[in-house]
Amino acid sequence: MKESRLMQVQYVTAIAAVVLVTLHLLMQGVLVPYYKAIDFQQVLLVYRSWVDGALLEILLVVVVVHGSKSLRTIPLEWRQSGPWTRGVNWASLLMTAGVVIYGTRTVVLAVTGVVS
Amino acid sequence: MADEKEVLNKRGVAGWINPYHYNLERWAYTFQRITGLSILLYVLGHIGDTSFFVGGPFGSGPSVASWSSDMAATENFLGNVILTMVVLVVVFHGINGIRLILSEYGLIFQKPARPDYPYKAKSLRALQRHLILVAIVAAIVASLWTGSILLG
Repeated sequence: MKESRLMQVQYVTAIAAVVLVTLHLLMQGVLVPYYKAIDFQQVLLVYRSWVDGALLEILLVVVVVHGSKSLRTIPLEWRQSGPWTRGVNWASLLMTAGVVIYGTRTVVLAVTGVVS
Repeated sequence: MADEKEVLNKRGVAGWINPYHYNLERWAYTFQRITGLSILLYVLGHIGDTSFFVGGPFGSGPSVASWSSDMAATENFLGNVILTMVVLVVVFHGINGIRLILSEYGLIFQKPARPDYPYKAKSLRALQRHLILVAIVAAIVASLWTGSILLG
């Protein structure tokens, strides 16, 4: 992907993250009292609500893509060469995929798993 | 000689936090990077932490016992101080990030003009500095509010 397109991804995820993180913080202490927001039944309710669960999944993807794209910038500022750039790109891609898969697993198990 | 000059110009990571000849925009850049790395670190920890709602890496579904032990480990004074700091850096990073996007697309720039002494960048509008100050003030207010909820 071209660097200009990657920067567009960076800006779109940034704007989306601002909106979603604001909503997330509001729901964790302002709209819902903090002590209630971390209660097991309340968390389960959030995961199992289509809208709230979907927003959490979108928030996960948006923040991880934005974060790993930003992190990629730092080693690319240190060194520039074809193999180095390819290595950093792959590391960034694998990190994004790994974290998104692990986070998505939590959402899926919270929605479909049996409560114990 | 050329090598020596090259080394001097290559300040590396230390260059981020070297305040020599920094203006407000350069400080904002440094803090944008430091807060970004802090947030990424927190996000990775938070994703790991919330996975204990389903029993952790080897869990198979929502577990009251696992969530309770996770809450017992994180819901304490230190955990709440960390959350307050997270709100501080997230608010600064978000508002300063919006300023960066607006400037990247040239929306808060003036037309460039001839540089005259003392050679201040004329393309920077006062709005740029105002947005940085808004980011700082909003971050402090939001973290104080969070602190009053979590620690009050």
